[in-house]
Amino acid sequence: MSLNLEQFWPHARPWVESLATSFPGKIIKPQFAWWEVGHILSLITLGGTTILMNLRLLGVGLTQEPPSELYRNLRFWQNVGVIGIVVTGILIGSANAERLYDSAAFIVKMLALIAGIILTYGVSRPVARDDGAVGLAAKIWFAVGGAIFLLGLWIFATSELINPGVFHIITAAGFIVLFAVAGRGRLIYLGVLIPLIVLQYIWTHVIVKADDYAHLTPVNKTFAVIFTAWIAGTALVQLFRAGRGESGGPLTKIIGYVTILVWVMGAAAGRWIAFA
Amino acid sequence: MIRAILVWLQTELGKGSGDTAQSWSEALLGSLNFWGLVEGSHLIGLMLFAGTILVVDLRLLGVTFRRTPVSVVSDKVLPLTVFGFIFVVITGLALFYAKPLFYYHNIWFRVKMIVLAIALINILVFHSRIQKTQGSWDSDAKPPTGARTAAALSLLTWLAVITCGRFIAYDWFECGKPQPAFINWAEECKVSEKGAVTLGGQHL
Repeated sequence: MSLNLEQFWPHARPWVESLATSFPGKIIKPQFAWWEVGHILSLITLGGTTILMNLRLLGVGLTQEPPSELYRNLRFWQNVGVIGIVVTGILIGSANAERLYDSAAFIVKMLALIAGIILTYGVSRPVARDDGAVGLAAKIWFAVGGAIFLLGLWIFATSELINPGVFHIITAAGFIVLFAVAGRGRLIYLGVLIPLIVLQYIWTHVIVKADDYAHLTPVNKTFAVIFTAWIAGTALVQLFRAGRGESGGPLTKIIGYVTILVWVMGAAAGRWIAFA
Repeated sequence: MIRAILVWLQTELGKGSGDTAQSWSEALLGSLNFWGLVEGSHLIGLMLFAGTILVVDLRLLGVTFRRTPVSVVSDKVLPLTVFGFIFVVITGLALFYAKPLFYYHNIWFRVKMIVLAIALINILVFHSRIQKTQGSWDSDAKPPTGARTAAALSLLTWLAVITCGRFIAYDWFECGKPQPAFINWAEECKVSEKGAVTLGGQHL
């Protein structure tokens, strides 16, 4: 499967083609690289603030301070990051519209953006502000944002050529679990994960030749499922195990995981627009 | 000398026998998805590394977490930053390994390496000198001038590193195109495969 915007709005192509030669695309094009830098810097600002605020919901990172203190200190910079990616994204997109129109990764990125905004402003921030308590409104927004996130993830995972990008999300989830699980649990986690990585390498380089794509694809897909199962399983154990510095229950932690991963999905999909 | 090593890395290391044999570097660059995964991972790693260092630097500047001691922020956030840095370095080395000669003759890469060295020296100076007196200003909302200067320099250098990193992808100053003499010198275009061409079109 490979979706793109043309399948939804087939008559929009002339308008999309005209974007690069009209305002603001025409103005942006000569300074395209600078706007790209702005986009990356905004993503970094958003990433840093989101990671810290949501790791805190998981009971990791700045645990000496309550989540509300992190919310109070990081909200301005998180706003800077979100506004930055939206503004620079629109400008870059207008100068490069035809490529986005034909791209499945762009659909994933837009779903991640919508889900990211909902999960950040409707769920993660209110929960951090209330020191881990999840209110009814946050639960409703979490259901909406989470569903959009899963839809984007499904499109990412099932679209040809861009689906290797899902490994970014699996890797990020793997790192979050590594941070969240402590002590013996971390050793067990790594004790299975590292041999799995080595096994995947051997399987895809020795047992199956690296240029034998017909056989590599099912192997890599199988490993993606195995990695996901192991990482999600470990996360599940961590969700129900009380640790130091935790301010909420399992749902608070799930919100922490999902809010980080939704922005990782947005960044990953953005990168894969250039690759496929 | 350096270039000779890079030529060997790019074209010889790991090369098997046969006409179509590739070096490991060429195999990495030519891989269907792996190079893209490494490149994407480098960017996502930056979200963790640079994103968390931003927060630490803002604390040192007295902009955020003014009620939280600097030691609390650095002790809890810097391990994440270091983890992110290691990840970014590993993926960055892999990207370099995929086309070492391209990077070697790229002015943005060279500037990036110089600014990266400045950023690392700044970290060393901070830890060896400024941090020694941290006990006396740890809880201050606004740390002393030395700490704030180090934080500002940190932000500026990482900003420059990221900017140069992005500009590497653009061929504005590519060897083999007409370039000012300074660019041809700075990129060592004369010894590159594409050679050096002056603004007047003369091949050097």
